[in-house]
Amino acid sequence: MAYKATKNPTTDLRERLFLPELLRGLAITTRHFLRNLFNPRDTNVHVVDRKGPNLVSTVSYPEEKTPYPPGYRGLHRLVPRDDGKPRCVACYMCATICPAQCIYIEAGEYETTDPSSESRVIEKYPTQFVIDELRCIVCGLCVDACPKDAIRMDTGLHTPSEYNRSGFVWDIPKLLQGPAVSHASDPWNKRASSATPPHQHHEPHTRIGEGLVPLKLPTGEQQKRTEVTDQAIPVTRFLKD
Amino acid sequence: MKALEVIIAIGVILGAIFGLSALAYALGGWIEAGFPFFGHRLVESGLPGWAWVSNMLILVLGFVMLIATFLTLAERKWSAMIQDRIGPNRATIDLPGLRGRPLGGVFHVATDALKMLTKEDFRPKVADALLFNLGPILAFAPVLALFAVVPVGPQVTVFGQRVGLQVANPDFGMLWVFAIASLAVYGTSLAGWASNNKFALLGGVRASSQMISYEVALGLGLVGVMMAFSSVRLPELIQGQTTHLWGGTVELPRLGAVNLGIPAWGLFLQPVGFIVFFAAAFAETKRAPFDVPEGESEIIGYFVEYSGMKFGLFMISEFAEVVILAAITTAIFLGGWNIGFGFDSTLTRALTQANLGWLLGAIYATVFWIKALLLCYLQLAIRWTFPRFRYDQIQSLGWKILLPIALANIFITGALILVDPSLRSLAVLGFVEIGFVLALTLRRPEPAGHEADDAHLPADAHGHAPPPLPGAAAASHH
Ligand code: SF4
Ligand code: SF4
Repeated sequence: MAYKATKNPTTDLRERLFLPELLRGLAITTRHFLRNLFNPRDTNVHVVDRKGPNLVSTVSYPEEKTPYPPGYRGLHRLVPRDDGKPRCVACYMCATICPAQCIYIEAGEYETTDPSSESRVIEKYPTQFVIDELRCIVCGLCVDACPKDAIRMDTGLHTPSEYNRSGFVWDIPKLLQGPAVSHASDPWNKRASSATPPHQHHEPHTRIGEGLVPLKLPTGEQQKRTEVTDQAIPVTRFLKD
Repeated sequence: MKALEVIIAIGVILGAIFGLSALAYALGGWIEAGFPFFGHRLVESGLPGWAWVSNMLILVLGFVMLIATFLTLAERKWSAMIQDRIGPNRATIDLPGLRGRPLGGVFHVATDALKMLTKEDFRPKVADALLFNLGPILAFAPVLALFAVVPVGPQVTVFGQRVGLQVANPDFGMLWVFAIASLAVYGTSLAGWASNNKFALLGGVRASSQMISYEVALGLGLVGVMMAFSSVRLPELIQGQTTHLWGGTVELPRLGAVNLGIPAWGLFLQPVGFIVFFAAAFAETKRAPFDVPEGESEIIGYFVEYSGMKFGLFMISEFAEVVILAAITTAIFLGGWNIGFGFDSTLTRALTQANLGWLLGAIYATVFWIKALLLCYLQLAIRWTFPRFRYDQIQSLGWKILLPIALANIFITGALILVDPSLRSLAVLGFVEIGFVLALTLRRPEPAGHEADDAHLPADAHGHAPPPLPGAAAASHH
């Protein structure tokens, strides 16, 4: 059976005359023109919910921003400890699982005299932690892989624009940001004595701010800790410590 | 409040047109009267017939070029509105009061001009230097020369002199339009040839063949009007269109006798001629749907090698052609400055008695430009409504459809004028034709066999509601 391009080949006089159809087409475009000309634009960022006679569906970007859908997680951050150092222990799990191979880590070892390694629970820390945000495919595997909850995607930001490629290579000063997280069983937060019952010493999966416990730090350190807020922490702060 | 802003903007535009027309009349009368200044005259006997200088400056360089320049913005802005977009709105001027206000994007005109003027003027090494430079000139100059014979305003008395808004009024009137319009193709094909680029050459060849085939229909479309008013001079054509086909004089208090008649506009007498002429002239402007010489999606066109202001000349001449086509169509088919329906006689009587010739002329010129601007909108809307023609479709439309229709129209018009010199039977035929097309246009489509059109979508859908599924209608019958 031969293939028929048009299912309905019957054209009436109006379609064959061409002119009435042209006029109808012009009527449609002119109707749109007049509606958009004389009516104010609805600037609701949810385009589908726009009401009113004006039909413009543009979201005028820098002034109007479409909100991200719920569940959007955004750019990585390295989670700081209460003392401002990264929680990362340079275990290379994230760098290993990263399918885009965009995480570069160089590990350093704490001196035995360092208060952080007093108990030799934390031995390593990253001297370099770099994510190439242009190569990252935002898969989130690094977050899943991290055993220390040291890398998170909970900023809700998208990668800001830059003038050159090197600007997209984020290192510790840029990555280390956001609220500090402490878990009850953080190794640098050991039970002070056996007076604390062992059942309190578990590691719950916390959200930001949950499970923060008061730290037993020298008074000077206590002062510092409150400064750890939303800003990125300068790299010198913990590399020189 | 947006509606108010739009109305204010329209008012500003009309005010500018009115002011420029009044200036043209005043300047023309002042020149003709020999520059009177506090009772003294610079030239004792006056300079009769020298108003063309000011007319040329104000009509061609003022009106045509200004409107063409703003049409480049209008094309972008209006197309945006037709397509439910916003359009250019980013250029602003950092001055107090203007800061952060794009004013509908008017400043984009300035930025565009600046861009055109400062871009590199590049010429390919293999291009022929002389012809390459001649191309834009030859494309641009005839377009402006075309406007010389178009009358914008009537002859009125200013400073005791008869002044009209027309650069020249030669006996050959409309023949000048035909002759000069066909000259513009030289610029186009020269540009295509001299660029030494095969795509430019293709564009040039396409342009010349398209222009030549539509030249015929363009001329024949106007023959009907020339026969009806037995003249080729545009002011006489407009004068002819101000006569009333049918009319009764009513005696109104304070206004005197008012003739509420139907004016003999060319559109009413020659609707077929109007369609043929408008389509052919549209093809001459090389704009979509007749834009194969340009062919943005395939060959870029005859100006592919041009940059900077040379390209700008091609572009601005296209828009100047739009303005001039609108002006000529207004003069020939829409009665020029004629308002019709009883306004003219009253207005003329009142203002002539008050010796305000310039005011009368400026009002009429504004009416002329309102009609011309509406036609400009029509041309831009056509460009953003209709799909492009294929190249063979363009040729067959020109030779197989427009040409026979134009010839048949000439014979029928001639016969009717011979039978009834009062033009009334011609007008009856015209109204029947217009009514026929309108009836076909407004008839609702039969529901069966036609897809759901715009009207069936929910009112506030913003185009997001899916059209009803084909199966849904069938299922509902069970
Ligand atoms: S989100 Fe995926 S691609 Fe990006 S750094 Fe983490 S593991 Fe690599
Ligand atoms: S971020 Fe987590 S997974 Fe990656 S190196 Fe640090 S501790 Fe290991």
